[in-house]
Amino acid sequence: MIVSNKLMTSVGSAALMAALSVSSGVAMAQDGPLRGNVRIVIGSTSTGGDTYQNSSIVADHLAEHLDINMKVDAVGASSAFRTLDRDSRGNTLMIFHDQSYLGYLYGVQGYDNIFEKYTVGPTVAINPGNAYLVPKDSSYENLEQIMAAVGDGETVRVAIQPGGVSEIGFSALKNAISIEYPGMEDNLVAVNTGSQSDKNQQLFDDQVDMIHGSVQANEQYTRLPEDDQKAMRFVWLTARQSTIEQAPEEGMGKTSREQLLEYVEPNVHVTMGDDENFTFDKEFFFLYNKDMDPAIVEQIDEALADIYAEGEIQEIQKNAFFIPNFKPSDEAAAYLTEKMARYEEIISNIK
Amino acid sequence: MEFLSLLDITFFLLAGLGALVGIIFGAIPGMTATMAVAVCLPLTYALGLNHGLALLLGLYVGGISGGMVPAVLLNIPGTPSSITTTFDGYPMAQKGEGEKALRVSVIASVVGGLISAAVLFFFAPVLADFSIKFSYVEKFLIIFLALTVIASLSSNMLVGIFSGVIGIWLSLVGVYSTSDGGNGKTRLMFDAMEPYLYEGFSLLPVLIGIFGISTILLEAEKGVKRDIAGERVKLGKGNSGFSLSIFKGRMTNLVRSSFIGTFVGMLPGVGGSAASVLAYTQEKNLSKDSSQMGKGAPQGLIASESANNALTGGALIPLLSLGIPGDSTTAVLIGAFTLQGIQVGPLFIPENVNTWYVMMTALIFANIVMFFLMFYAIKHIAKVVMVPKHLLFPIIVMMCVVGAYAINYGIMFDVWTLLIFGVLGYVIQKVGLEVAPLIIGFILGSQAEIYFVKSLESFGTFSIFFTKSPIAMVLWALIVASVVFSIVVGMKTRAKQKMELSQVAGSTQVKPGKDRDQNSR
Repeated sequence: MIVSNKLMTSVGSAALMAALSVSSGVAMAQDGPLRGNVRIVIGSTSTGGDTYQNSSIVADHLAEHLDINMKVDAVGASSAFRTLDRDSRGNTLMIFHDQSYLGYLYGVQGYDNIFEKYTVGPTVAINPGNAYLVPKDSSYENLEQIMAAVGDGETVRVAIQPGGVSEIGFSALKNAISIEYPGMEDNLVAVNTGSQSDKNQQLFDDQVDMIHGSVQANEQYTRLPEDDQKAMRFVWLTARQSTIEQAPEEGMGKTSREQLLEYVEPNVHVTMGDDENFTFDKEFFFLYNKDMDPAIVEQIDEALADIYAEGEIQEIQKNAFFIPNFKPSDEAAAYLTEKMARYEEIISNIK
Repeated sequence: MEFLSLLDITFFLLAGLGALVGIIFGAIPGMTATMAVAVCLPLTYALGLNHGLALLLGLYVGGISGGMVPAVLLNIPGTPSSITTTFDGYPMAQKGEGEKALRVSVIASVVGGLISAAVLFFFAPVLADFSIKFSYVEKFLIIFLALTVIASLSSNMLVGIFSGVIGIWLSLVGVYSTSDGGNGKTRLMFDAMEPYLYEGFSLLPVLIGIFGISTILLEAEKGVKRDIAGERVKLGKGNSGFSLSIFKGRMTNLVRSSFIGTFVGMLPGVGGSAASVLAYTQEKNLSKDSSQMGKGAPQGLIASESANNALTGGALIPLLSLGIPGDSTTAVLIGAFTLQGIQVGPLFIPENVNTWYVMMTALIFANIVMFFLMFYAIKHIAKVVMVPKHLLFPIIVMMCVVGAYAINYGIMFDVWTLLIFGVLGYVIQKVGLEVAPLIIGFILGSQAEIYFVKSLESFGTFSIFFTKSPIAMVLWALIVASVVFSIVVGMKTRAKQKMELSQVAGSTQVKPGKDRDQNSR
């Protein structure tokens, strides 16, 4: 009996040690109000996605610079917001991207106006890979042909995940069609799907004509031979030309920066009216609890300014196909507020 | 053979350590392989890709296998994919055959793991192309097929189906997301419950509650008296009663279940638990004698454990050939690649041949380490049942609570879910409903709905379910066969019971005292 009790205890403690070994003890910051163990929740549940990857890079550098422990938890948007709501001490921070306000603009449940409910922190990076793809053997050569076909009365089905980053390009396209071919925009049909795998599957099944995807997730598919059922082709990257120009010359996978530039404005033209082209850069930024000590906001701003001044983080971000884009909190909040207003207009135009 | 230079002693140590820690994670109720991989993911930064993969794959294999321990010994599925292990494992443990049950499970696990690794190695790209033939319609039919197990699993078919429907109903509580074909609104609850139930009940707390906590409540009701009387659970009589001859005549089951596990694993979006449930159904329907299944038959363990370990290789197929994870653990594992800046997609294997070989080595090695670790530790692990219940149960409840709290990174409502479903599980059994069909309904219900609605949304007609593809027709044939089998078996059992009853009634007239005594045992 004693043996089994001992065994139980040792199994229990081994598990405990295993769990603790990764989240180790408390380290104290030398100075500044942010100290101890800090948890960064992200708005995505995926550890394979860009939000986790980007947040890990930033958290690693911040933790080292501030000499504190930081752990990124992929809890998903609604959990992340709720967790942030509960903690005003500064031990929980959030990193997310444009989805945080686009969800609100699209009226998705669980999203509030981040500019009112939270403190918007610094931006850290852009993922320039937001893309739209068609099957490699599609009769549509480029986005212009797709828009013309829709204008001609053809139905074009696009697989998107509703209510956010995946939908904003679709909305912009619809808006552009309504400007260039008034009354025909309803021929562009959104097919609501969930994950990237679902969107790809819809394309393989010929259930849609175009999908939302990303350079990172879909680049290999674009290099498959045309007779492969899975082969795809980029038709549009929503990033600004100047953003892609900052990417490493070798681009992503075996698709060079030069090739990627073919799919951005001005080569691809999605009008917003008034001679303005639609672009969308997916930007990552911090979100804080509104009641958090402003000194922490300042501390993180300063720490990130130092980290970016050193220059090492930029190299790591670029290697991971992120474009470094540090803006301190005040600047970031003003910039993102203006960005939200631009997209609000598009969304209200097509309602 | 360039990859051989990448393998060093640290690599093998990490894979072995991963398997060990994984087993511990899997064995603790509420901690899963997915959690183990997620916790250790940031370590891949420090370890580098190859060493990181060795550790993570070890954790994956160990975590899935470890789930069998509490499933057999305590009736708590350590991981969702080991629920079918409880069906036969726990009755065996109660009969004093816990060690035997664990040994059977370990062998089935390693065979399942190795078969799926071989399938992954030789056929990954071909199978990935096959897996994309499964659209919403086929995925719905697979889940539907797994749901038919409810009919064959229940002791009273109508009650079983009713319990299954309750399970499905419970799985639909929460937000009906727009990406799932819904309207983004919550359903089957009051508005005031929204802060807690927005995302519905979490799977694992429900699972541990309804199996583990309710078992403890039931045991507490009768077990204390037994303990006082000095009666303890038997461990076996010196030897475990295990011999390899148990597998004699079960090879078809072992191989079939391993292939089912691999196959379900490679279908993205069809959860891992569907694998063991499907394998269990098929064994129940196809074996010559399945009458003992659910009452402590090793064949049930073989089906369940070989299938759930075969998931590991299966789920890696779409991950490495399409860049799409096949289950929740590989969805975390993909992070190891992204953190190292490596793209996984259809060209991953040809472009990263060395990493591919390294992964295969780690996967096979982890399976072997898992086998030796568990096979020789079982004798000691099985002694858990010797711990007096008044000591054991509080520890289990504590571990369940901690696990439930941790599963979604610290949500208190998950602990309440655990306790609510613990009590519910107890009540359900008291009023005569059946737990297993209910939980299978709960696990598969929401997926069934998503794929059903998506199929209709995409194709716009009900007939598509029958006419979509030859695969769909084969699946329908399997569904019909499964239902017919259940009905025939059900009728046979009933006829047999009637006959036995009439015999008993006949002999009672001769020797009333003796038979009454036997019946009451």
